[in-house]
Amino acid sequence: MTLEIGASGSPASPVPEAAIPVSAQAPAWRHRHLLDVDVLDWSEIELVMTTTDAMREVLARPIAKVPALRGRNVTILFYEASTRTRVSFEVAAKNLSADVVNIAAATSSVTKGESLVDTIRTVEALGAQMLVMRHAVSGAPYLAAAHFGGSVLNGGDGWHAHPTQALLDLYTMREHLPGGSVAGRKVVILGDILHSRVARSNIWSLTAAGADLWLCGPSTLLRGFDRWAAASPRIPGHGRFQVTSDLGAALAGADVVMALRIQRERMAGGLLPSLREYAARFGLTRERLAAARPDVVVMHPGPMNEGVEIAPDVATDPRSVITNQVTNGVAVRMALLYLLAGVHGEGR
Amino acid sequence: MSATSGAAGHAGETSGVGSGEPVREAAGRRAGEVVAELEITRAWLVDPAAGREGPGEIVVSNGVLEAVTWLEGAEAKGVGPDGVVVAPGFIDLHAHLREPGNEDAETIASGLSAAAHGGFTTVCLMPNSVPALDEPSVLARVRAAAIASGSPVEALAHGAVTVGRAGEQLAALGELADAGIVGFSDDGACVANPTILRNAFLYAGMLGRPIIDHPELAELTRGSEANEGYIASVLGLKGWPAAAEIAAVERDIAVLAEVLRDEPGARLHLTHLSTAGALAAVRRAKAAGLPVTCDVTPHHVGFTDEWLAGARRWAWEALDANGAARDPWLDGALTAGPYDTSLRVNPPLRGPEEAAACLAALADGTADALATDHAPHTLVDKEVEFGLAANGISGLETALGVLLAAVDAGRLTLSRAIAALTTGPAAVLAGWPGVVASGDIRALAQPRGLVEGAPADLVVFDRSDRWRVTPESLASKGKNTPLLGRELSGRVLLTVAAGRIAYEEGAAGA
Amino acid sequence: MPMSGRQIMTVEEIRRAVIRISHEIVEKQAGTSGLVLVGIQRRGVPLARRIADAIAEHEGVRLPVGALDITFYRDDLSLIAQSPVVKGTDLPFDLNGSTVVLVDDVLYTGRTIRAAMDALVDFGRPRAIRLAVLIDRGHRELPIRADHVGKNVPTSREEVVKVHLVEVDGVDEVEIERLPAPLGETVGVSGTTG
Ligand SMILES: [Zn+2]
Repeated sequence: MTLEIGASGSPASPVPEAAIPVSAQAPAWRHRHLLDVDVLDWSEIELVMTTTDAMREVLARPIAKVPALRGRNVTILFYEASTRTRVSFEVAAKNLSADVVNIAAATSSVTKGESLVDTIRTVEALGAQMLVMRHAVSGAPYLAAAHFGGSVLNGGDGWHAHPTQALLDLYTMREHLPGGSVAGRKVVILGDILHSRVARSNIWSLTAAGADLWLCGPSTLLRGFDRWAAASPRIPGHGRFQVTSDLGAALAGADVVMALRIQRERMAGGLLPSLREYAARFGLTRERLAAARPDVVVMHPGPMNEGVEIAPDVATDPRSVITNQVTNGVAVRMALLYLLAGVHGEGR
Repeated sequence: MSATSGAAGHAGETSGVGSGEPVREAAGRRAGEVVAELEITRAWLVDPAAGREGPGEIVVSNGVLEAVTWLEGAEAKGVGPDGVVVAPGFIDLHAHLREPGNEDAETIASGLSAAAHGGFTTVCLMPNSVPALDEPSVLARVRAAAIASGSPVEALAHGAVTVGRAGEQLAALGELADAGIVGFSDDGACVANPTILRNAFLYAGMLGRPIIDHPELAELTRGSEANEGYIASVLGLKGWPAAAEIAAVERDIAVLAEVLRDEPGARLHLTHLSTAGALAAVRRAKAAGLPVTCDVTPHHVGFTDEWLAGARRWAWEALDANGAARDPWLDGALTAGPYDTSLRVNPPLRGPEEAAACLAALADGTADALATDHAPHTLVDKEVEFGLAANGISGLETALGVLLAAVDAGRLTLSRAIAALTTGPAAVLAGWPGVVASGDIRALAQPRGLVEGAPADLVVFDRSDRWRVTPESLASKGKNTPLLGRELSGRVLLTVAAGRIAYEEGAAGA
Repeated sequence: MPMSGRQIMTVEEIRRAVIRISHEIVEKQAGTSGLVLVGIQRRGVPLARRIADAIAEHEGVRLPVGALDITFYRDDLSLIAQSPVVKGTDLPFDLNGSTVVLVDDVLYTGRTIRAAMDALVDFGRPRAIRLAVLIDRGHRELPIRADHVGKNVPTSREEVVKVHLVEVDGVDEVEIERLPAPLGETVGVSGTTG
């Protein structure tokens, strides 16, 4: 019988227990908000991973609910429609017994309604203590955090960041890669990098994890990442990544391939000739996947356009862990809500 | 040294400079009052019109600059360029004072106070008010407001190129010229249609007035948020290509060159250039003898796009020894939060190499002037998501400080900095035949120098005295500057326009 | 942190207390049928194992042992930032109808036990829950009483009881220490959370 376990059925927690100081004097978690992964150092990412292990164990219980956030008001403020992510946060908050308030602020940037700052003040006056926010404008959660007395958890802002997605992606990769580590593993993110907050947050977390990260897509959707790629290995705590439009080179020997959603609007902007052409040149098909390692892990942050960025038989391939990503999404969001709930005032 | 009466108003601020108190003035003067008697001793005089700077003294009597004395030998001992400086009043070719239409952001009165606080004695207002300054009645309102303000700062105005700045039909160019506007601009937007631009050059050329273009190919910048490049990539902001400016500048120059064959009075002034490519195009046009002038702004000289990520070092500090951009994520330069909307401006803050090109253009004269593009905004328009924030930086009061930071860093000489604010813009105005012919423009009647017998028009600032930029310290209603909280050198002690007090440190109502 | 520790239990005393508790548990149940031991993370878990070992020795029956982490059941969120690490819950048996003996090192305010009972009932419906602790130091804030106590130790609130066990700390020993100054925060020091 093993007593000191991580998540049931998942690999043991990657950091030996002894490495975590039990009666650590300094707080192990100091962030009041989580707006992007860039502020997390590796030990903090590890803490998110081990806390997620514990949440996975909670999810496996007969009653998958604990009272950790009982009496806490978690307000979910989404300025962009996204049922999947919103429900994931809602389930996570409810599993922690939080009081959940949902606000769908489906306003366009054109309609001059209440300002974001006014809305933040209003939800705070209504009792919000933690704010989960999704917004179409890059950087909007930073404005919210500057005016909110509680914690802000970024549920995706513009093209900029989607930290919970990046952390669940990392968790899922570690769960499925032999050895439970992405260090040295070739990870390919394929598709519309330019407009992807998922890609940007994954750059921070995967270069921190020591992955051999490749970003691949048509050059119109890959613009501007070369200098970041060149700078990355010199940024403290981060490693290199590659940028290429050569799909063959990217997929060769890949351990993980993550396809990103291609949106129809990209055609109107003249960024792509057609979805058909995208599928033909960059779609993730079984034939192309043959260049990767036989046990390659296939991922997608959803929602998928099957037949465009990913072939239907690849999406349902046994090597696809797309549904695991969804489950782990709840666990990671529980972990982050839990960790943020412990920090007040001075934390950042 | 003498003073007419009372105690010096700010002896404390100027102590420690030279051997005595260099500035003395009558107490209790108010903005707008004629300077009865003023003597400034043992200061550093800069006279860019005469090409001279050095230790000296001035005397103003009844609003007239009575005496300019250059000190030499033992008398000059201990007087250096690092203390109190006396220079001609500054000219701003490009400012938005928001009246009529957006008086919450700025009024003519508050804008002229800001100008005076910044050392400016002549300001050219951009016509993008609401309604736009596209016919004489709007100019009359602006003038009335300027007179009512009691400020002695000269308020000049540019008129719109097209009706409502809509880019479709020429505005009342002739009537506006007759009424006394100095140039035509649809600033805020480029004159997008090249046929309209061509006709505007011809017609305005006939009137001896320039087209002042805001060079931006809108098709390349739709929805753009930040200079295209590394910083925008990391922050997930839509890139704003340099090519949008360069292509517009090259187009404008090509159209002008052709128009000149038919209308030799045609003139082009390119405002707020922010890219090395655009400045290179201007350099080539000037070498070819075309009547093209341009300005750069303090923010494109001093700030860079890395400020959007949270860096706050000066542009020249963001370059490594080889002149390449440093990386704010590598060397811990990120000291502020990201997405500060006070940094959202059109054209966007560029990389350090581009900023260095702007500074070099000031130094070598490719950029004829520094223009503030003073663009005050309310909190309502700025305290929003970055991508939704209004473009613009409140700049009249910090322009001198930014330039002096470059001077302090050894990147620009003091005389060039002052010339960019005085003789530079004066020469731009003097290159517009209709403006010269109109004869009623103070900035031209008295070229920017320290000329004995002329009405006093000067600024006195102390390079050894630093001041902190705060909402309270700014006279402008627009507090939208990323310099809030920062100390700048060169506190302005006194601004005199047309012999009258425009601003005085420590005075009531300043 | 300069603290003057005073030993209140030796290796031998701890060993004897464990054996005595193991006898009491079997006596109270009139046998071992339906009994399971659940240690509260972290030092309750090795204690539960030791009790199971002792019962195995004198009864010849090995009782199931589980581990319960009550982190998510604590009623003070400010504890999270100090010690956010969750040590894991593992209850590899059916709680329904069983008699659960909760095992912890120190009984203090009773809040930990309250949280442990909340956690336990999320896993099933035991027939009975009992409580065994190595030290009862008093100062209860909730109506909770231990069924089996290794040693009753009168303390003041300014004191800290520190239980060290070989499995966690490399040594078996119980100390009592006086807190320096009016330091309210005793989080992260074992045996003080009640
Ligand atoms: Zn402009």
